[in-house]
Amino acid sequence: MMQSFRQAMAWLHTWFGLVLGFVLMAAFFFGALSVFDREIDRWAIPSTRFDPQPMPSYEKILRPAFERMQPLPATVDAMRPRVNGPMPERFDTVVSWSAYTTHRDPVLQLFAGYEVPNAKDPEEAIWAEATIDPRDGTPLPNDRLKVGSGFFYPMHYGLTLDWKNLGIWIVGFSALMMLVALVTGVVMHRRIFREFFTFRPGKGGLRSVLDLHNLTGVVALPFHFFFAFTGLLIFAATYYFPLGHTQLHDLHDLHAEVEARQTGLPHQRAGIPAGLANVDAMVAEAQRRWRANDKAGDVGFLVLQHVGDANGYVSVYRAGTDRIALVGDGIHFKASTGRLIREDPAPTATGRVAEFLTGLHLQHFRHWLLRGMYVLGGLLGAACIATGFLFFVEKRKRQHARQGQQGARVVDALAVTTVTGMVLAALGILVANRLLPEDLPARGDWERYAFWGTWLLALLHAAWRSAPVARGLANPAWREQCVAIAVLAPLAAVLNWITTGDHLLRTFGQGYWPVAGVDLALLVSGAVAALSARALKRRALAGPVASIAGAETGHA
Amino acid sequence: MPESVIAALLLLAALSASVAGMGWLALSMPVHAQQAGMAPPSRAARRALRMAGAVALLVALACCLAVDHPTMASLVWVMGLTAAAVGVAMTLAWRPHWLRVLVPWAGPRTARG
Repeated sequence: MMQSFRQAMAWLHTWFGLVLGFVLMAAFFFGALSVFDREIDRWAIPSTRFDPQPMPSYEKILRPAFERMQPLPATVDAMRPRVNGPMPERFDTVVSWSAYTTHRDPVLQLFAGYEVPNAKDPEEAIWAEATIDPRDGTPLPNDRLKVGSGFFYPMHYGLTLDWKNLGIWIVGFSALMMLVALVTGVVMHRRIFREFFTFRPGKGGLRSVLDLHNLTGVVALPFHFFFAFTGLLIFAATYYFPLGHTQLHDLHDLHAEVEARQTGLPHQRAGIPAGLANVDAMVAEAQRRWRANDKAGDVGFLVLQHVGDANGYVSVYRAGTDRIALVGDGIHFKASTGRLIREDPAPTATGRVAEFLTGLHLQHFRHWLLRGMYVLGGLLGAACIATGFLFFVEKRKRQHARQGQQGARVVDALAVTTVTGMVLAALGILVANRLLPEDLPARGDWERYAFWGTWLLALLHAAWRSAPVARGLANPAWREQCVAIAVLAPLAAVLNWITTGDHLLRTFGQGYWPVAGVDLALLVSGAVAALSARALKRRALAGPVASIAGAETGHA
Repeated sequence: MPESVIAALLLLAALSASVAGMGWLALSMPVHAQQAGMAPPSRAARRALRMAGAVALLVALACCLAVDHPTMASLVWVMGLTAAAVGVAMTLAWRPHWLRVLVPWAGPRTARG
């Protein structure tokens, strides 16, 4: 009974791991990159290479910037079908103005929502977005692709498949199966503690691949488990069960009204014009209240609701940099008088757990060591999946070769594409980011094409070179793509030097870590790829190594 | 000393304790002790190494708690253990005799190396 149970677990682990491993590989790799998404943004948009700034003064910087904002013509056109009658020339009734920053953002993002007269859904607002330099309010280009937070991060959670949130469903399902793979993997692994520290590179073939698969899976098990789990939780709350907005729309509206009565924060405009008291004084008061509760006082999010109306209010949220839990500790003031309306109450016990779990994954905290460790965890996850692919192929390729089957060959080519090919694609977008002309129209789209184009080339290359696998040998594409990484990664760093003048000596000397860190990571990746290519070459020259027959039979 | 330097030193201490702790736990296993060129440890020595390992990991936790908010410290600790375990496993794979630094009392290297 136990034996068949274990076999069933092995079947589940093998086949779901194989199919969804390709997705999980992207989630892990781009997740690891997303830990430093803001820093990659600095590398990719040189005009934003300055130090992170605190939330600037509303009166001096933010108000003039907000007043300049209007929705883009394209946004207005997109809204047109959802409005009865013509669209106005200008939008003046402000639903909300808000500004968002983190402790790693030099630039400040501004959002403005406006009421649309005669909109079919009166609740629907039209939005404008802007990016400014918080030191003096200068508008910065808002259309440049933020390669880190605007591309690698969406790749991480949704593969950038936006259509009907398809990517988010695929990644979410993969995360669920990842939890299954972790459980089945633990069931299959009979010597979890005895082989906790075991990696025998000298044994070659199946044994060493399986060692590395087990090692990277087991030592980072808490990381793998908690990130798959909290990722699912975040998706569940945001996308999978947004009941309030879909099934229960009427109830949602009613709830909003009840909430407005309870909190004293009006849901709608009163229709009576009113002035605005000094917002900077409200921010200062909020910071004083946080300090009194022993909490770091940086403002992360500032919202002005119903601007210019008697019902207007100002909400000040904390940037939660000093703890894991993602908390706002919002404090709300009446806009016209600056009187305190409400302080968000302390969360319930359940709320606290939820805040910890989401904060653990979304990492707004200020802790560079922990950030670095998250990258390590992500890369260990990627290594675990990659070695899983290798084990699958190594175990079958000679048998498939004898039987004239192509299965191992196909899986191996796809594995090359998702391991080295994915790194090449990421390098492709960075190189394109430095090579494309600064004022190219739709530059961001070209950068995306470079990413997908590089990946497609990697796939074609892996497939083209895969014939030896069908004869039970290794695919030379592994080594060749390692060589390509070893060339492209330092090339990206050199291009950064040539196009911006920021070479490593300078960025190190100035202690400008965002750019120095990305360059350094590029050089290290290049070196690792070069070493791997050399090792693969040696092995190819030595001829095929006999596989160890006694590999764990529990693995299918 | 400024607070940030103390915090950095404490985190360094936490990482060092994690590596030492994982190293001792590994050396308490006969296979790994032999890899490091030591005689297989006696039953008492194995128990002592396991104890030392566990205590070192707790010291690491204490160092983490001294620096950060408990929620943050717990994550730093767990991830530190992961990093230390990978480090020890890789050392055992490529340079096993380096682990002998952790057991200076174990005497000279045996012939098995």
